[in-house]
Amino acid sequence: MTKLFGTNGIRGVINQDMNGVLAMGIGSAWGTYLKKTITRPRIAIGTDARLSNSMLKSAVAAGMLSTGCDMTDIGLVPTPTLQYTVKEKNYDSGVIITASHNPPQFNGIKGVASDGTEFSKDTEEAIEALYFSQQYTRASSDVGTYTTWDGAIDLYIKGVLSTVDVARIKKQRFHVVLDCGNGVGGLVTPLLLKTLGCTVTPLYCELDGTFPGRNSEPTPENLATLIKTVPEADASFGIAQDGDADRAIFVDEKGTYIWGDKSLALAGKYITRKKKGDVVVTSVTTSTCFEDVIKANNGHVIYTKVGSPIVARTMMEHHAVFGGEENGGLIFPELQYCRDSAMTCTKILEILANEKRPLSALIEEIPRYEMHKMKMPCPNEKKERVMNLLAEQMKGNSDVVNIDRTDGVKLFTKDGWVLMRPSGTEPIFRVYVETKNTQDTQRLAATYKDIVERLIQRV
Amino acid sequence: MNQSISRQIFRAYDIRGLYNKDITPEVFYKIGCAAGTYVTKTMQGTHCVVGSDIRQSSPLLAHAFIAGMTATGIHVKHTGTTSFGQTLYMGGMQHADLIAFVTASHLPPEWNGIKFYYGDGVGFPEAELMKIRDLVFGDRFELAEWKNVGSVQSINAHVEYQKFFLSKFTFKKKLTVALDCGGGSMTLSAPEIFTALKLQMIPVFCEPDPTFSKRPSDPKPKNLTMLVQTVKQRHCDFGVAFDGDGDRAVIVDNTGAILSADQTGILLGKYGLAQKKGTVIVNVECSKAVREQLEPLGFHIKQIPVGHTFLTLEAKQEHAPLGIESSGHLILPEYFLFDDALVVPLKIAQILEIVKKPLSALVSEIPMYPTKKEEIECPDELKFDVVQHLKTRLTQEYEHVNTMDGVRVDLPEGWVLIRPSNTSPIIRLTAEAENETDLQRLLAQFMKPTLEAVQKAKGKTTER
Repeated sequence: MTKLFGTNGIRGVINQDMNGVLAMGIGSAWGTYLKKTITRPRIAIGTDARLSNSMLKSAVAAGMLSTGCDMTDIGLVPTPTLQYTVKEKNYDSGVIITASHNPPQFNGIKGVASDGTEFSKDTEEAIEALYFSQQYTRASSDVGTYTTWDGAIDLYIKGVLSTVDVARIKKQRFHVVLDCGNGVGGLVTPLLLKTLGCTVTPLYCELDGTFPGRNSEPTPENLATLIKTVPEADASFGIAQDGDADRAIFVDEKGTYIWGDKSLALAGKYITRKKKGDVVVTSVTTSTCFEDVIKANNGHVIYTKVGSPIVARTMMEHHAVFGGEENGGLIFPELQYCRDSAMTCTKILEILANEKRPLSALIEEIPRYEMHKMKMPCPNEKKERVMNLLAEQMKGNSDVVNIDRTDGVKLFTKDGWVLMRPSGTEPIFRVYVETKNTQDTQRLAATYKDIVERLIQRV
Repeated sequence: MNQSISRQIFRAYDIRGLYNKDITPEVFYKIGCAAGTYVTKTMQGTHCVVGSDIRQSSPLLAHAFIAGMTATGIHVKHTGTTSFGQTLYMGGMQHADLIAFVTASHLPPEWNGIKFYYGDGVGFPEAELMKIRDLVFGDRFELAEWKNVGSVQSINAHVEYQKFFLSKFTFKKKLTVALDCGGGSMTLSAPEIFTALKLQMIPVFCEPDPTFSKRPSDPKPKNLTMLVQTVKQRHCDFGVAFDGDGDRAVIVDNTGAILSADQTGILLGKYGLAQKKGTVIVNVECSKAVREQLEPLGFHIKQIPVGHTFLTLEAKQEHAPLGIESSGHLILPEYFLFDDALVVPLKIAQILEIVKKPLSALVSEIPMYPTKKEEIECPDELKFDVVQHLKTRLTQEYEHVNTMDGVRVDLPEGWVLIRPSNTSPIIRLTAEAENETDLQRLLAQFMKPTLEAVQKAKGKTTER
């Protein structure tokens, strides 16, 4: 059985592995799943700005309606806007048609549970099983109804603004360069920033499913224009969003790209300081700089497997005050348990308004670490044994202080840590090494590359 | 998705079948892919208007169809749930390459289907519809690259459509009209337009009722008792009933008498057309009264085969001012080339305002002749051969024989039409005569050779 759902929903190239037949089948399976426990499920559906959004939306809707689910089409919306709508308007489920940061030829389908969080693995597996069995519930005279609602963005912006002191931010009259990457964030973030009193210099804020401005993933290479524009425009800072606006990456006033770990640490620092010593959640790939600032403020970090749904669910369990990952996906539970770029921008603005210092100065205070990422080829069937052998072998190693098996194998040494995770989609290991300085990082990287390669050969 | 698609759903003028049996979202996705492929490849077209009637399964089937169309690169303007006329009107305004309307016309609520039209409102001829069918069965879809996938835009048909009627009709006299939408798609347009035109409207089943629980959606006389009663009790100037999708209107006069399509058509020709010239299109089943009444006024009458697709096609070619189909489709091309039933009551209202006589008085001036329809059972695989045989035989025996659709024989005392049913294992024998005696004689005279031909055909198959 092929797996349909990846880390972030089902994705594929349009009219190839992502097509109308698949989308309608998923809609039918999803509706069938909901009908098992809910007499008359209500579903909200929205899309990002990709060219194939209507096609997939129509196909999913046809499948869902046929099972007897009532649907509300909330139109073009960022993923967090849909999630917020599902939670606030008590929908039983939400569908977002998006392929996030993937290139424009891709599109996908992502599921949202009634509490606004992304679908759990269990839910995805149940829907997948129904899809492959094709045992769909088909309603006859009680098929679903389809209505549209254009209030989702207003509702969402109001919600975001309710979490901060708007007047305080407004007073600062920030100047922000906003790069939406032609994604659906263009419908929300410019409006939100203006409401917060910001002067907005827009970059690629027009919605365009061909993504003519830049590639959708907010990497340093893809944000060259933003990096150049911020100092030229003499702006307070720059913001870049991904295609469905759930992640945000920042550029400081000097035009320096800020890695996701740093913005995560910055937000975590001020949130734990304000709330005094509460729990925060992140995944095992996050830099130690995060834990450092949280501990300094009497906070406690819980580490999870990689993936924002897992981080969000762990946050709910532990009533965490904050969470997120190093890719710019930050989660603020006072609004909702999902990563949210508009909330991220708003919170960073609040921090800047309170601190009254430039962003570069605040980032400067976050401890520095040197991280190195590698990919190592390994056949899928060998992965499990390689990891077990590595953990076994390292138990006797005096350099290794602690071994963590939350996700893959994470080895803590006196200089730093090494994480080896199997990729869910490719026959590779992702290896992360982090220490305080470049030399140690390079040394550790070389050592463990060698160890792992030998293990792969041996197995 | 691997379900096999029934060939039976592809019919001469449309696609229809039982929802959840032959008609499913998966089937409609494929039909969308096929129609989209047809538009891009055969028509070199790019955009379509799609709407759906009031049936419960219609919106989801429209979505499935749209998913297929957009996958082939067609840009879709979606009118949503509308009357037939609203979507067709928007298709014309938007210069659509193809208009698709999800409906099963007058059939019960568990049915559904789809009809295709060109942008000018002319229905798809059978040959072109069969090309789409062949694409479905051949799985020969040309899906677009990601860059060229079609978009979907919602458009509001109500506003534009109402504007059109306000520009075409004004009533000074307050006419009272009983309006029976049968809970069908006309509930979405007729009441608001009647009100906007300041007609005194007495609603009968004007609330949307997708299961047609108040009356069957076919406006046959036996389904119109409530309307007839309302017209009489409320002293209406006239009443009108529509079918489920709004392409047929039946008029009831001020005495409660239900008019035939022929009678309504004659009234429209006699009083409703400013210039009494040009070709009036009638099908071979229409009463001889149509010719008797309209030819002396200056019209030329052209007979066409049964089927409203031919009606619009012929009306377009002949620049006809009027088209009459005995089944109840009427077209007035000064408004639309397609059979939007809403123009019929409005035109009748206009006539009453001008003529200043009660409708029953106008109706009584038109002589009507007794007619009768007989059904003769005949297996599907034989019925066409039987009629073919009768064509040859009757052409030899009689002088005035017309074989464009079945075989019609015209005699001084009346006429007889023998044609195979397109849908059932039946041969239909229709006759009209000056009086009952002649009618019975005509029926007997032609029933005999028909039964003989059926027997002979059956005998042949048993021999084999």
